This record gives sequence, C-alpha cells and structure tokens, in this order.
Amino acid sequence: MQTEDTDKQDQEIQALLKDYPMPQATATFYDRALARATHEGTRRQRKRWVMAGFASAVAAGLAFWLIGGFFLATPILPDADPGIPGITMTLEEPRTVNLMFASATALDAAMLTVTLPDGIELAGFPGQREITWQTSLSKGKNLLPLELIAVSPGGGEVLARLEHKDRDRTFRLRIDVS
Amino acid sequence: MRGDHHNDENLAFERLVRPHFDRLYRLAWRLAGRKAEAEDLFQELLIKAYGKLDELVKIDEPASWLSRVMYNLFVDERRRFARRRLQTVEEGQMPGDGLAGLPGVEDPLLDRERWEKICALDAALSQLSDEHRIVVLLHDTEGYKLEEIHEIMGVPVGTIKSRLHRARARLREILTRNGTFS
Repeated sequence: MQTEDTDKQDQEIQALLKDYPMPQATATFYDRALARATHEGTRRQRKRWVMAGFASAVAAGLAFWLIGGFFLATPILPDADPGIPGITMTLEEPRTVNLMFASATALDAAMLTVTLPDGIELAGFPGQREITWQTSLSKGKNLLPLELIAVSPGGGEVLARLEHKDRDRTFRLRIDVS
Repeated sequence: MRGDHHNDENLAFERLVRPHFDRLYRLAWRLAGRKAEAEDLFQELLIKAYGKLDELVKIDEPASWLSRVMYNLFVDERRRFARRRLQTVEEGQMPGDGLAGLPGVEDPLLDRERWEKICALDAALSQLSDEHRIVVLLHDTEGYKLEEIHEIMGVPVGTIKSRLHRARARLREILTRNGTFS
C-alpha cells in the first residue's frame, strides 16, 4: 500500500516536473548576445585577461576593508568625507575589495547599488557601470566582497550606495590604475 | 583585410552556435534558475566559445561541448556568486521565489489545483542542493538522457542515477510534509 502510494506520488512529481515552466528568450536577446560575444570575445582575446584574471584574483587575495557604519536607528547624515580611502590597481589584474556594512538592525529589501567609473569592471558583469542588488542585511556586520578589474587606465571613484526605505548611505573608494 | 577576417570569423561562429541557442538558453535557465543569472551565463558562454573558435570548429558535437562549458562556467560563477553577495533575494523567479510572470500562470488549461502543485514543486526544488536540482530538472523536465548529463556534469552515470533517485525522494518527502500530497 505504502509502495503504491509512493509510486503514485513519484509519477505525479515527474508529471509536474514535465510541466515546470520557464520563459522564452526575448526576440532580440540572441542577436544582442551574439553581437556582444563577438565584440567582447575579440577584446578579451586581445587582452587575454580572463583566465589570468581568475587565477590572479585568488592568488592576489588582497582585501581592502572599507568599513562604514550604516546605523538606521540614527538620523541620516550627509556623507562625511574625512578623506576618501583609495587603492591602486594594476591594469587587468583583478583585486578584491571587501565592503563591510554594519547595521543596527536586520533589514529586508535594502537596495545596494555599485557604480563604477569608466575602465573599472566588476568581475562577472563586464561592461556594466551600475549594478543593483536587492538584498537583506543581518544585524551586525555584513560583508560584500567585490572583485574589481581595471580594463583601462584612468581610475576614478567606486560608489556603493545602500538604501533602505527613505534612508541611504554612500561609500566611496578611490581607485588609481597604474 | 582584417575587417574581412573578423567578419568571416563572426559568420563561422554564428553558424556553429546559433542552431543550439534554444537548447542552451533552456540549460542556462535550468542551471541558474533566474532570468538575469541565466542570461549572464548564456552571454559568458558565447564570449568564451568565441575565444575558442579554433577549437570549436573541429568539434563534432558542438552542443555537447557548449553545454559542458556552460555547466563549468555555472559552477565557477556560483562559487564566486556565493562569495560576492550578501544575501540575494533579487530578481525573483529563482526556484522558491514564486512563478509569477512565467508561462502557465494565466493558462486556462492548467487548473488551479495543478498550478498550486507546480508552485509547491518550485518551492521544493529550491530546497535541493544544486547537484540534485540540476540532475532532476535536466532529466525529468528537459528530457536529457543520463549519458548526456554525464557529458555535461562530468560525473559518473551511477552518481547521476543516485542523485536523481535522492532528488525525487527528497521532493516527495517535502511535498508530503507540506501537505501537497496527502
């Protein structure tokens, strides 16, 4: 009896799995992906940083700690600028920057936006200047490692903006590229 | 001349990969489980494959090769993704995040009770490990043969069988416990 029930449930699970849905690609997605692949692939071939980047990211392991207080229990203050912290990166050499957010309370549905200057990319998001996550913060310290890659000289400021309801806080990190 | 060479390369690349786009897009979805990550994965695959065009033209079955490369990219990215984000609850459409917006919600052919069971299945899938979730989705949803999954994941067929068995058992356990199956 038990076996009959189990067999019946297995059959039903498999029938449900066959109907488990997924969306279709939008009409232009394939063309855009192809165009970007040929463009980006050529660029990456030329610079040959992809595999070297992965390996050196692990090897380098440089962690820069940007510690910012994000205490929502207190009124929001204008961004203090006691001297923006900075790092120097080597062209095409990935480097991990750890951002730490300390929160007085657990937060749901906080928005985190990382804005990158020209020539600095976030690993896994090639070509994107602004990346936004909706995220949750635990009470206490929350760590966000960002693997950055300098793909052209220049540098600039990386901004990490954390928003929750009507409050926000922006952290800045200056990047020089050698 | 260089421009002509690149155009020839681009055309050759497109001829090799485009026939497999639908299959690869579906695979990306089943691996990643959400739109943004699946499309990033698809994009990264094409970029990587373009960089290996010389190798790709010599391969008899590009679909298998591309699928395997995509799976490896997924595994690598998942490791980095886990390190990068605080806790992700973004974008929706991850297994367990609900199925709003996907085909089926408004499908009059799907009765309400069945749709609720699919939603329960979605939530149950989110409780499986990646290895179990991927095997059960590729085999039972996408219809891949065990040998094909072996080619993609690079693990023995016996291990895949075992994962499939455990994944189904775990789904049955979860769906029974939450009352989906009486």
